[in-house]
Amino acid sequence: MTDAARTTAESLAAPLTDPAARPRTVALRPFGLDGARTGPISAVTGLLLIAVWFLVSQHRLVPPLFLPAPGEVAAQFLSILEDGYAGATLWEHVSASLLRILAAALIAASLGIPLGLAMGLNRWAKGVLDTPIEFYWPLPPLAYLPLMIIWLGIGEVSKIALLTLAMFAPICLSAQAGLRSLPIERVNAALSLGATRWQLFRSIVLPSALPEILTSLRIAIGVGWSTLVAAELIAATRGIGFMIMSASHFLATDVVFVGIGIIAAWAFAFSYGMRLLESWLVPWKGKT
Amino acid sequence: MLRVQNASVFFPGRDGGVIHALDRASLDIDANSIVVALGASGCGKSTLLNAIAGFLPLSEGSITLDGQPVEGPGADRGVVFQKDTLLPWKSVLDNVALGLDFAGLPPRDRRDRAAELLRLVGLEGFAKSAPHELSGGMRQRVGIARALATDPKILLMDEPFGALDSLTREQMQELLIDVWARTGKRIFFITHSIEEALFLGTTVVVMSPRPGRIVARFDLDFVRRFAAERDVHAILSDPEFGDLHNRIRDLVHRPHHTAVHRAETLQ
Ligand SMILES: Nc1ncnc2c1ncn2[C@@H]1O[C@H](COP(=O)(O)OP(=O)(O)O)[C@@H](O)[C@H]1O
Ligand SMILES: [Mg+2]
Repeated sequence: MTDAARTTAESLAAPLTDPAARPRTVALRPFGLDGARTGPISAVTGLLLIAVWFLVSQHRLVPPLFLPAPGEVAAQFLSILEDGYAGATLWEHVSASLLRILAAALIAASLGIPLGLAMGLNRWAKGVLDTPIEFYWPLPPLAYLPLMIIWLGIGEVSKIALLTLAMFAPICLSAQAGLRSLPIERVNAALSLGATRWQLFRSIVLPSALPEILTSLRIAIGVGWSTLVAAELIAATRGIGFMIMSASHFLATDVVFVGIGIIAAWAFAFSYGMRLLESWLVPWKGKT
Repeated sequence: MLRVQNASVFFPGRDGGVIHALDRASLDIDANSIVVALGASGCGKSTLLNAIAGFLPLSEGSITLDGQPVEGPGADRGVVFQKDTLLPWKSVLDNVALGLDFAGLPPRDRRDRAAELLRLVGLEGFAKSAPHELSGGMRQRVGIARALATDPKILLMDEPFGALDSLTREQMQELLIDVWARTGKRIFFITHSIEEALFLGTTVVVMSPRPGRIVARFDLDFVRRFAAERDVHAILSDPEFGDLHNRIRDLVHRPHHTAVHRAETLQ
């Protein structure tokens, strides 16, 4: 570099205001949320809601029958924890519900995944199964609940069947969607590396559909929790859904609140666990 | 030898018409040669390659590899795509070993062979990396290593460097020449860059669109010279290189009817 050129270059760069300070970093202006942090806002909102709840019940703005005080609900929770409810311990209620949801999820997944994949691969599977699935899956579970009871009785079978039906459709539909999103180049690359049909399925098709399948499992378990109360309407003596329905008959609003809180906590824990499972099983999701 | 004879492809077009994507293309790819198909986009280059790879059946004509008719994809023809098709859930090493896995090789042999190929493409330090951790050029290197792993009789490459920046592209061209010189693989290579075609091809076929046709064929020795002398400047400044560049440029930009006429005089 000539002297003249160097002088120009140096004089073009304005001096730093404070060489020791960390420079102000910038990013492209975002549109929409673009991954901005919302966690603290949500946490504060939650605390505010509880505070409002406190104030409303403190000043008796609403009768306790409609809205029990937070303290009452907490006390009721401790008492149920200690003495149980309706002749069963809290854990017996929780485990009864958990067992139903997990059994239904297992059945729904082991039917929904292979059938969904088959529907994505085979004209006959798609043609035959499309009709019943498209027919039943928009129906509210409460609508076919009576049929479950008439056909399957009032035992565990009808409860699990109801939950299974509610969970099956989202799993089956996303397994199909997972297949549709498989790029044909990936298939062709595997075929020109000598893959047999089975190797193609196991090494390419299945892992490619896995992210969508796992997401659908998370959604399905959420659906399971939201169908739980309906399932436990069927002559249950155990279960969180049963606890809520039974308490409502006695206008025990505080027990209803305890039940809702327990379902919310478990549903959140499951959803979080599924996310962990996703980040462990499909760490490549969203990359390339 | 890979032999394409009078290969024609018609695609179903809109409102009941047909698209004549490839018109009676004939091509021989001999041992130790690099045949480059050059042409503007839409002139049937990928169609020809897909037919050779076995992804696409021909409407008319035939393709044989060492006398055997090509009836579908197979490990005797390795393919490198423009967009990398590496599996994001497998490490670089396991991606390279994929074809060996399909062939049922024991894990130990797979790993040894894959590691050897990674060395060949200059990626020995990246065996454990995930594909998304690599740059575009490095991913294409993995793609080449993967295609070579099953020891195919021919390497088919569809604009493999088309998405790379021009500096990386030059490096990749030299790498490919190295690989070719060392393995002696025959290669069918598609590009729309005249310079790339001249630099890489032992034979360059120029194609023109609507219908896709081979309109000219040039036998060259720049790539052999580069493999022997490794002097890019000597080749790029060779008047013959510039001369051919201009001739092909005219050919590619010429209106189609003239190109067709020329094709007839060539045949
Ligand atoms: N699957 C297809 N269906 C219909 N037309 C196609 C299909 N694939 C390619 N074509 C048409 O065939 C012609 C040649 O395409 P292609 O071989 O991809 O060209 P190139 O690779 O030289 O750019 C183009 O006009 C393209 O639109
Ligand atoms: Mg193309």
